[in-house]
Amino acid sequence: MPLNPDVLWYKDAIFYQVHVRTFHDSNGDGIGDFQGLEQKLDYLEELGISAIWLMPFFPSPLRDDGYDIADYTAVHSSYGTLEDFRTFLESAHRRGIRVVIEMVLNHTSDQHPWFQESRSGEDNPRRDWYVWSHTDTRYKGTRIIFLDTETSNWAWDPISKSFYWHRFFSHQPDLNYDNPAVREQMWNVMKFWLEMGVDAFRLDAVPYLVEREGTNCENLPETHGILKELRRKLDENFPARMLLAEANQWPADLRPYFGDGDEFHMAFHFPLMPRMFMGLKLEDRKPITEILQQTPEIPSSCQWSLFLRNHDELTLEMVTDIERDYMYDMYAESKTMRLNLGIRRRLAPLLDNDRRRIELMNGMLMSLPGTPIIYYGDEIGMGDNTDLGDRNGVRTPMQWSGGWNGGFSTADPEHLYAPLIQSPVYGYPAVNVFSQRESDHSLLRWMRRIIAVRRSTRVFGRGSIEFLYPANHRILAYLRHSGNEVVLVVNNLSSTAQAVELDLRRYKGNILIEMFGKNMFPRVGDLPYLLTMGPYQFYWFRLRRI
Amino acid sequence: METTAHRAASQKHAAVLRTEMKLAEENFLTDDFLRQLINVGEVDILVGLPTHNNAKTIGSIVQAIQRGILRGFPRERAVIINPDGGSRDGTPALVTEVSIGDSRPTSNLHALRTFHSISTKYASSPASDVALRTILAAAEVLRAKACVVLSPESANIEPEWLSKLLGPIYRDGFDLVTPTYRRHKFEGLLITNLLYPMTRALYGLRVREAYSPEFGFSGPLGSQFLEQNVWNDAANGAGVELRFTLSAIAGKYRIGQSFLGEKDSAGRRGADLVLALRQTAGALFSALEPGFPAWSVATGSQPIPTTGTDQEVILAPLRVNRRRLREMFSTGVAELGSVFASILSLSTLAELQRIARLGEDEFHYPAELWVRTVYELAASYRKSVISRDHIVQALAPLFRGRACTFLMENRNASAGEVENSIEGLCIEFERLKPYLLQMWE
Amino acid sequence: MREMIVSELSQALREIARGFAHLLPRVIVMLILASAGWVIAYAAKAVLRSILRLVKFDKLSENAGATQLLTRAALPSATELLCRFVFWVAWLGFILLGVSVLGIMGLQEQIARFFLFLPRLFVAVFIMFLGLLAASFFSRAALLAAVNANVPSPRVLSLAIRSMIIVFVLSIVFEELGLAEQTMLVAFGIAFGAMMLGLAIAFGMGGRDLARRFLEKKFVRGTKEENEDDLSPL
Repeated sequence: MPLNPDVLWYKDAIFYQVHVRTFHDSNGDGIGDFQGLEQKLDYLEELGISAIWLMPFFPSPLRDDGYDIADYTAVHSSYGTLEDFRTFLESAHRRGIRVVIEMVLNHTSDQHPWFQESRSGEDNPRRDWYVWSHTDTRYKGTRIIFLDTETSNWAWDPISKSFYWHRFFSHQPDLNYDNPAVREQMWNVMKFWLEMGVDAFRLDAVPYLVEREGTNCENLPETHGILKELRRKLDENFPARMLLAEANQWPADLRPYFGDGDEFHMAFHFPLMPRMFMGLKLEDRKPITEILQQTPEIPSSCQWSLFLRNHDELTLEMVTDIERDYMYDMYAESKTMRLNLGIRRRLAPLLDNDRRRIELMNGMLMSLPGTPIIYYGDEIGMGDNTDLGDRNGVRTPMQWSGGWNGGFSTADPEHLYAPLIQSPVYGYPAVNVFSQRESDHSLLRWMRRIIAVRRSTRVFGRGSIEFLYPANHRILAYLRHSGNEVVLVVNNLSSTAQAVELDLRRYKGNILIEMFGKNMFPRVGDLPYLLTMGPYQFYWFRLRRI
Repeated sequence: METTAHRAASQKHAAVLRTEMKLAEENFLTDDFLRQLINVGEVDILVGLPTHNNAKTIGSIVQAIQRGILRGFPRERAVIINPDGGSRDGTPALVTEVSIGDSRPTSNLHALRTFHSISTKYASSPASDVALRTILAAAEVLRAKACVVLSPESANIEPEWLSKLLGPIYRDGFDLVTPTYRRHKFEGLLITNLLYPMTRALYGLRVREAYSPEFGFSGPLGSQFLEQNVWNDAANGAGVELRFTLSAIAGKYRIGQSFLGEKDSAGRRGADLVLALRQTAGALFSALEPGFPAWSVATGSQPIPTTGTDQEVILAPLRVNRRRLREMFSTGVAELGSVFASILSLSTLAELQRIARLGEDEFHYPAELWVRTVYELAASYRKSVISRDHIVQALAPLFRGRACTFLMENRNASAGEVENSIEGLCIEFERLKPYLLQMWE
Repeated sequence: MREMIVSELSQALREIARGFAHLLPRVIVMLILASAGWVIAYAAKAVLRSILRLVKFDKLSENAGATQLLTRAALPSATELLCRFVFWVAWLGFILLGVSVLGIMGLQEQIARFFLFLPRLFVAVFIMFLGLLAASFFSRAALLAAVNANVPSPRVLSLAIRSMIIVFVLSIVFEELGLAEQTMLVAFGIAFGAMMLGLAIAFGMGGRDLARRFLEKKFVRGTKEENEDDLSPL
């Protein structure tokens, strides 16, 4: 299947987020690699994925799961070679699957040669590539992001006898984007990958590129300038590629990252995700509709990126204190599940392994405006291990079968990069691709079906959204419009059966065709349209006049 | 000997009968209101607020309710139910204004979830029993765990009142929470001189405000009261709140009281005494017959758990026209002689006539005589010697005489002394309970 | 001549005997009817007494204030009175029936008229009873309301209302019985009118202030002056 030639391919795409280390090990060393990933591309093609987002695979001391990069134009030896990556890339393209890779612009590992040089002396040519200071009082008031481990944004370097700025871990010094050499070099890095054929970049931690005194050092105009410049170069030289922003901000603060369609193509809608979980527990659509009401319009070529879970904690930065306490009490009773103002659990454990809730959340993910991202393993309902440090509990090996090492690797279990999930409920004998493939009613089969329905129409990826506000607040209902196509989505957020009356007067005369079974529902008349819904049930209806 | 199987079968049979009876009765909730209730769905907290032309005060009251719920119960599902008795000044719209939802974005308000406020017109003129029944019916279908009824006349309501009335029910398992207030020592004499001592003596529980327009109750208690056959009794239109409290006492539910604050008496001055008597004494008398098995066996009285102080007393000086009260008492006794002759004993009537002739300085309506008077009227009420409503009306001048004496005795009293005075009266009521029982047979 | 007298006498005697013979059976029938009537009337009285006891008629009449009237008139209780009344009416009916059997002319007509009169008599009694009930209730209600509203001379008002209702009821009763209808009607009209006029003058002149205050309270929505003695009872 060839690649979708449309410049706006990312609007219709289904993304799959995966770390090469976790997916499949081809050489028996206990660590997933590119050859192994390439072997599993059939599986992803069958699932219906059209773009893979790879976590960082660059050479790195791996103190931040690869986000501390020590070499931008190579592949970490554990995962294979550059040639392996190239092979994998071509193989993916042949199946019509695009590849998105990480690009950490804001900082490098302190093991990166550039930093080694920079710290060696004040007169080193790369001195100015990082942000140095003799005191740690500059940029006061800037918030600390990794609250659980860091106490300051400045770290003392004993070699250079001065402080260096780091918004993240202290072993990840920030690059100095006021230096044109830095900007030039980073573009060259990106060009390297683009020329190889990589389709898109997820630019990590973009709000923090530039610092200025007297500000909170986030989202500064200078930062936007740099990003626009990158985009311009990209459009000029590599059309139909894409930039995805990672910026955990309120929607209003995120809006500038789209510019006028001249900055990022896509950005993650961070505030929506915790509210979906909140709405589910409250059995009330209010948190979800409110955040979407506050979401600003974005340029027509731009797209939100939606997700339920990812490699990080379920972040609760963008909620009020009452909401955060509620989420902690509901979803993370045990303190070990909490990290950095978030909850480090996978989708299935968060939803008590309730198949109906898992389906409902995926249904909303696939029908709300934006491009959905599936986190690897969530399509089979993998579990987590909160005893593993940091966020590693949600980054355990992919479970392919009930056999040796869950089919992930032929190595000895002790050599795996991380232990497999063993619990009776989520362990690999119970939850794995092989057995779910065999069963008609497995979550995997269901995910395939819903992805197929989603891909059968453009209205979900490209259409506008209009909320209906039925009096029953447990029902989240909205219409998606695109051209002449109208789709009605109705979600029951409650654990109990509900009745809802929808005001569809404008669509009087249309019949409703349920999109999974393709069966007809009664025609819309003058009276409010009555629907009865089972617990956590959802409907997608195509409206048709016939 | 009834086996468990038999008992289970008969219970099931009774349940089936009850359901059948329920189906056979007329629909009490209107279709439109029912639709609104369906949309609200199950709730944890229900606030009942009956209204009739309260546009002047209702705005601040519902704001206080909303704040009270958001502060005290931020995670709970809550609803305001507003049965309206045909307001013409836009009161219902003001009540529903305070709902919080996504269809009408309200900035500055951090509410975790949707907060409903719905209104229904239950009649074209106010009737407190129909209003209460509407609230109870809504509480039952919405399966509310803790409910509170508030009065639109309490313009000084604080957000904390919600926690004080609902908290013990929602969190500590109480079934009924009655309020206590800070009042002037001379306000609420009908409560302190009649209702409180008599309910205490007869029912054995020291519920200070058995009749109150604001109180909290649990879902099970509400459902139980809803099923009782009090709704078709025309005489109980007034004072159904008192029946509620007595029903809770008789049913051995867990009862407590909470100190709320100052009782807003400004709106109640000049209120009709006869109406007040109907709501209190009338309701109490009418409850005695069906409640006989409960109150006839109670002896002494027990205090009930109280949050906050018991009640506070304001001692500010207040000008009271005692002479007018005494004169109305004397006139009443004189003019209503023929009526009293048929409802009081000869000795009591003679005694009343004697003190009616006393001058201002010697006038004294002793506690014991008052208690006998009230008990004899209660007995006459039961026998329906004359029209029952007339018996209640006849109580008015007698109450005025008693009020006059109370005011005289306590004109310089401190808070403690007033409380002792009331306590003394209570003990008198308890002591003479056998007298009532004797007349009752 | 003696034979003429004897024959006339014997003829007369024979006629008398014939008359007796003619009458005697009827008298016997009449006596039988009377006795049977007594038995039936007695039974009816007993049945009625049970019924009235069941519906607590005595209490009703006490409410009506009828009992007090009867006691003052040294009459037995209302139930007893009614039972006796029914007994006598029933027995009288049977007696009259017996008398009618005698076949005495003219008497038939009167008897028939008596029987026709009976239903109206019952209705009249019933109306009277209801009227007394109403008079008692409303006069007491007025008394209580007046006392509680501190209206002067409440008993006068109560009595006035009671009288008005009784006068009204009496006139209906008399009309029902058909006794001096026109007279009663006119007399009632005059009495009622005079009473109303008197009351109007009395209240109009004496109740000027009261009326003004009442109207002020109802229609003038000004600030409510707090009466110094107006405590809140609740």
